[in-house]
Amino acid sequence: MAERRLTNVIRALRFHAGEMTQAELGERIGVTRQTVAAIEQGKYSPTLETAFKIADVFEVRLDAVFQWSEPGAKKAEPESGSL
Amino acid sequence: MAFREKTAWLELVTMLVAYGVYFGIVGPAAGFGEERMLDIVWSFGPVAAAHAIAVIVGAIFIAVTARKEAEARADERDRAIARRGATIGYYMLIAGMIVVGGIMPFSEPPWMIVNAALFAIVLAETVNNAVILISYRRGWHG
Repeated sequence: MAERRLTNVIRALRFHAGEMTQAELGERIGVTRQTVAAIEQGKYSPTLETAFKIADVFEVRLDAVFQWSEPGAKKAEPESGSL
Repeated sequence: MAFREKTAWLELVTMLVAYGVYFGIVGPAAGFGEERMLDIVWSFGPVAAAHAIAVIVGAIFIAVTARKEAEARADERDRAIARRGATIGYYMLIAGMIVVGGIMPFSEPPWMIVNAALFAIVLAETVNNAVILISYRRGWHG
């Protein structure tokens, strides 16, 4: 049975936040640009603390950034009301 | 490529080259110390020193070319990946030491035991760096 996986819409949130770069986001949450890239690509699941920091930067709820997706589910878009 | 990924590549490549030279060329030429145990020091010593110098010079070069990144502290992903590499490398080392210290003394001569111990250390460190690189490349979900 395929497992659920953590997905996120950080890339879209960055785009809506004045095309914030990965380096800028990384600097604000205390990780490297490469780690932000790895989170966006689903190659690294951040700690809960970092996940909350990301949500804080974009001023949205945690579940507007990260989703616990079904296998094969379409990638979520950020909610318009949360931007 | 992340700064710490580059340093892991440096350590892995220099280690494979240096100890490949020892176990493939220098060691056999010196009989791995079979005649005189001191031969191990004179054959392994220079290889280990050359390896250390290569790592130091390479690390300085990487740090200079990626100055801002080199100054930054390891973040949570770097630390998680380093922990994973160290943990798996540790188990490799323990397994190697059980063989070297618990089994080989009953059947093998001292020069063989010393070289096997050196090989176990090299293998454990190689596995450590390989796990780090795989984790950076393919992802890490701790």
